Amino acid sequence: MKKMLALVPALAISCVAIQAHAHHSFAAEFDITKPVRLSGKVTRIEWTNPHTYFYIDIVDSNGKVTNWAIEGPSPGALSRRSWNKDDLKIGDTVVVEGYRAKNGSNLANGRRVTLPGGRKLYGGSPGDGGPGDDGTDQGALPPESTKN
Amino acid sequence: MPFLQQFCHALYGSSFGTMLRESNNAFSVIESVHVLSIALLFGTVAVLDLRMLGLVLRPIPVGSVARGTLPLTWCGFAVSVTSGFLLFWAEAEKMYANPSFRAKLVLLALAGFNAFVFHTTIFRRAREWELLTLPPWRARAAAIASLTLWSGVIVAGRAIAYF
Amino acid sequence: MFVWLHMLFAALAHSQLGHAMQTSRWGFALVEMAHLLGLAFLGGSILIVDLRILGVILKNESAVAIGRSLTRVLIFSLVVMAISGIALLSEEAEKCYLSPAFRCKMALLATAIVFYFTVHRIALRRKEMGTSSLWPRAVAVISLLLWLGVGVAGRAIGLL
Repeated sequence: MKKMLALVPALAISCVAIQAHAHHSFAAEFDITKPVRLSGKVTRIEWTNPHTYFYIDIVDSNGKVTNWAIEGPSPGALSRRSWNKDDLKIGDTVVVEGYRAKNGSNLANGRRVTLPGGRKLYGGSPGDGGPGDDGTDQGALPPESTKN
Repeated sequence: MPFLQQFCHALYGSSFGTMLRESNNAFSVIESVHVLSIALLFGTVAVLDLRMLGLVLRPIPVGSVARGTLPLTWCGFAVSVTSGFLLFWAEAEKMYANPSFRAKLVLLALAGFNAFVFHTTIFRRAREWELLTLPPWRARAAAIASLTLWSGVIVAGRAIAYF
Repeated sequence: MFVWLHMLFAALAHSQLGHAMQTSRWGFALVEMAHLLGLAFLGGSILIVDLRILGVILKNESAVAIGRSLTRVLIFSLVVMAISGIALLSEEAEKCYLSPAFRCKMALLATAIVFYFTVHRIALRRKEMGTSSLWPRAVAVISLLLWLGVGVAGRAIGLL
């Protein structure tokens, strides 16, 4: 009974809009029907806990530039996948294969990132059920998508 | 920029704050200490609160329970505040704008105020009622407030990641 | 041999609970909060019982009485954590199945629970009788380490 009283603030606080930074499973935050394959120049890197982000400028066929945010795991998790802070540099052109945020914003989960020089990095965890998940920490390539 | 925001900006941009925020393991370890310290802080005060509600340890006088648990609670508080301050330092600018973090601090202050009022009033006269299995209503009210407010601190703390 | 276990995890992921947890925007948060509150109550009760055995607190009170009273809190917290834990598990069952941190946590949890209701209970009675002091204290230390291990392994699931 006391525990139920104690949960009232929980309900009050939780009933407020939730943004993209929450821990959700892949399915809750990103849209499996919206695969993206983005190629762009890195403009900003946020090598932060709990999630890392980097931002790329995508230039479309009309020359219009849009900036996208690419989400990845924590610095510690990336370092365990042999990716360190200085592996990505502002101005590098990278290819990101992933899935767009459900809310349609310019945010994608970086399932596979190809660094200049060809090195590929897998952004998921074994068994997380996202695209490319094959139970290993290297993942499989997502299917070729048409979106650019 | 208001002073508080400037202060948060300065902490966030400091080399120590940046090092923590970008660390491979330090942030995770400190965060884990912070989360697990709730057992030492809230877990022990909860047992005292449950005793004051007559739900546990009934044969033991409230004063004796308090003498056993309060030092542990203070240890938990020291660990929570230290680890919490370090986490705050790493994320200060983001925390300034975070409504759940602000709610957490307010609830923390209220929990502290509740404890202060309890200890300076009804608990002073503990000898009069500590042998009772069900203490007077003021003590019970303080216990319920304590359980609710500290739960609120934990809930608000968890919700920080969602804003 | 563990195929059936793997299938159980898959079934959990595909259950209604699983789908609800995977797609909910705030349901997951609520379940996490319940799990944390359960952790606090469980941790607090085991701390007090074991510190009593170690003679650090409540030295003049009956160890057995303290153990009996706080076991009720422990069991209640365990139930809350088990229910919330299963819900959390259903959100990422396959990931947990493959996770070394999760496997470690479950092994430690099973050990801690069995230990608590067997060896630990005997140690409480021995402490009460006052015959030997070293063995009950060792049991209390092991108990604290086991439960701490469960907590640390739980954190590691999300961090690795």
